[in-house]
Amino acid sequence: MELTFRKNDKTGEVLYSGRHCSGLEIYIIPKKGYSGAYAVFGTRYGSVDSEFVVPGDTEPTSVPDGIAHYLEHKMFDQPDGSNVFDKFSEYGGNANAFTSFNVTAYLFSCTANFEKNLETLLDYVQSPYYTDQTVEKEQGIIGQEIRMYDDNPGWKLFFNYINCLYQNHPVKKEIAGTVESISHITADYLYKCYNTFYNLSNMAIVIVGNVDVDSAVSVIERGIKKNEPFTEPIKKIYPEEPEAVASHYAEKSMAVSTPMFMMGFKDTDTGEGGDKLLKKQIEISILLRMLYAKGSPIYKKLYDMSLINSTFSLDYTMQPDYAFTSIDGESRDPEQVYSVILEETEKTLENGLDREDFERAKKVMWGRYVRSLNDIDDYAVTFMQLLFMGIDYFDYYDVYKTVTFEDVEKRFRQHFKRENAALSVIKPL
Amino acid sequence: METIQINDNIRLTCIGMTKLKTTSLGIYIHRPLRAEEASYNALLPLVLKRGSKLCPDQESAAKYLDGLYGATMGASVLKRGEDQIIYFDAETISDSYAPEGEKLLRALIKLLMSVVFDPFTENGAFSEKYTEQEKINACDRIDAFVNDKRQYASQRCQQETARGTDFAVMHYGDKDRIKSISAKALYEHYSSIITSSVIDIYICGAYDSEEAAKAVRAYTDSLSFTKAEIPRTEMIERTEQGVHEVTERMDVAQGKLAVGFLTNTPALSDDIYALAVFNSLFGAGAHSKLFNNVREKLSLAYYASSQLEKLKGIITVNAGIEFANFDKAYNETLAQLEEIRNGNISEHEFEASKIFILNLCNSYYDDQRALVSYYVSARIAGSDDTLEDYIEKIGRVSVEDVVRVSKKIQLDTVYFLTGKGEA
Repeated sequence: MELTFRKNDKTGEVLYSGRHCSGLEIYIIPKKGYSGAYAVFGTRYGSVDSEFVVPGDTEPTSVPDGIAHYLEHKMFDQPDGSNVFDKFSEYGGNANAFTSFNVTAYLFSCTANFEKNLETLLDYVQSPYYTDQTVEKEQGIIGQEIRMYDDNPGWKLFFNYINCLYQNHPVKKEIAGTVESISHITADYLYKCYNTFYNLSNMAIVIVGNVDVDSAVSVIERGIKKNEPFTEPIKKIYPEEPEAVASHYAEKSMAVSTPMFMMGFKDTDTGEGGDKLLKKQIEISILLRMLYAKGSPIYKKLYDMSLINSTFSLDYTMQPDYAFTSIDGESRDPEQVYSVILEETEKTLENGLDREDFERAKKVMWGRYVRSLNDIDDYAVTFMQLLFMGIDYFDYYDVYKTVTFEDVEKRFRQHFKRENAALSVIKPL
Repeated sequence: METIQINDNIRLTCIGMTKLKTTSLGIYIHRPLRAEEASYNALLPLVLKRGSKLCPDQESAAKYLDGLYGATMGASVLKRGEDQIIYFDAETISDSYAPEGEKLLRALIKLLMSVVFDPFTENGAFSEKYTEQEKINACDRIDAFVNDKRQYASQRCQQETARGTDFAVMHYGDKDRIKSISAKALYEHYSSIITSSVIDIYICGAYDSEEAAKAVRAYTDSLSFTKAEIPRTEMIERTEQGVHEVTERMDVAQGKLAVGFLTNTPALSDDIYALAVFNSLFGAGAHSKLFNNVREKLSLAYYASSQLEKLKGIITVNAGIEFANFDKAYNETLAQLEEIRNGNISEHEFEASKIFILNLCNSYYDDQRALVSYYVSARIAGSDDTLEDYIEKIGRVSVEDVVRVSKKIQLDTVYFLTGKGEA
């Protein structure tokens, strides 16, 4: 298999990449001097994908909510009745998996026996084995996982927030589904989803750390099972999402000490992936920093009014088809925080942004990027998530350098609009 | 690793790690964990972080850090046994990645030194405004403790297991005590402890150690210090029989079972390595007895794990379960301990338990904070083990060693966080 080699002069990082004839994309980032290595094998498939057209079919398929996550759990069962964790632990691999809105991924980290662990990863993710009995067994475990999230105020805060922002988009739904929805999951459904989304042409493997590129590639080549790549994309069906938010406010009472809030803006400028999406992400992150981070007049005002404390944080979640900013923290008076932020943001819109603030915030983005290359786990996962959005994280600088003050001004007017804002609150009982 | 003794109390340790693109700094001020001063120590880092002579307010500090490509600085309080640590943490991208060749580390050390040794003051006290605001934050942090039920149950069980000792003192302090602290009293506390505590400064990454020592001395040479020791922790030993039972009720959807055991193995004993392997085998990971039985076999929980507190000699088991499954999960936890005591340990389980620890330790070499944290913990325990020594000693642990330490484990406390309407 032919690999392309690239070196980044700004960061000193190197990357080998290629596509296997099975359709699988491969990215290897060797890190000199590291003890550990990390591999993640993932698919473009997450909790939002409950309705789709299998390539070759004419009719759409509909499956119960929570199935991507359920499938992730069931991948750990092997046809011989063994458990994959046992195999990894034999080689000292620390294995795990996660399901997000748009990605399901299987991963391990290790400081020895990398090839053996990689072999195990490739093998089990390509060996589905589900029976109604093993599917049944998982109901109890996932049921407890769902219960655990039911008691997690930060999680509820977040989901109530996106339920304010979205009217129809399935990002509204809990990733693990509900105790009711998962009760409809059967082995047949799991195979249907597996055979669609786990086709290697829908997947990628990203490796970062102390690895020998040649031997990693030969393990991958040997480990790939027979796969007929799809010639057409899997059609994912999402309901139409209007620009308007579903609601501006949600609240729930839980066993917490101080009220918690999450607020922000629905991004209505969606539909693009790749460089355009990365550029937007940099613009919005710079704006969040300029407007609300420590050092900004709005932060100072909120802090001096004792409306926020050190738990205050800022974020931007994005995919090509949906995106939103979020500002969260604890506050005695979340509604006051919401109105101060909206009012002060509007004032800044009138008075204009400061060019020096922009330069400083832009510097922070560069530092953040360089820092993100340190940790092999985070680096590999971020790389894959962005890859699935069509973004090349390795050449971040090429997009970063094009972001101008004028771009940010324009983005400011586009994104931070009162009509797209919402507030979610968790109140003490 | 290079150690420079700045004076009787202050030690600078530099650890090279240039494969990472950052350099991190940590300052650890060691204080004994005692009810009388815990609230002061908890509040102090929050107020110090608010203003220094170099950057008298949050805004100027934030801009200073942003100018260093978003360097970070944090201040908090940690607990290691009965050592309450006032902790400052900072990180910058290493100088070689500064696009304009800026001296980022030098600037960051200067800020951190100013925060710790040259605070912003008004009329011989901390700022009234900062102190009052941070008192609210410190109280919020205590209140917020209950928000994460999993962690809450685990901590409460540890506290109950350590009842009657200083280890049960909350390192975030006590709300009533915090509320009564004045800006002046806090400054007096600061002035007295800053020169009478062991202070460890760690730099990990890319540095010039002489230059770093000089930067530290610039802030400490004018102070006069009283020689101090690192606080030591006494392991719990309890002769009375019977299990200490605690049930708490809250409006929750899932019950949290926590079981506290006494290890009866001192942190400096040769058995401490076997105890670490025991804990790994018992409940620290997907290879463990608790994971494979409480979760995989009986489907009772999504998580079921154990944690070791070496210094105080406590192991806590935690599981999130249906309220009605209390007995099943509790009995299975004890049954798995019994399995180990009886030597029912497969070769695979045993090897996996060791490899798990070795893998974790080896990963510290790629993580500046984790590596420093290992050395800080070893120093607090009074252990001379380098990470290499520790790895080697874990490698030598045998099944018999694990069975021997398991027989010393003593059931002490059963804690259950249950729903309001539950029996």
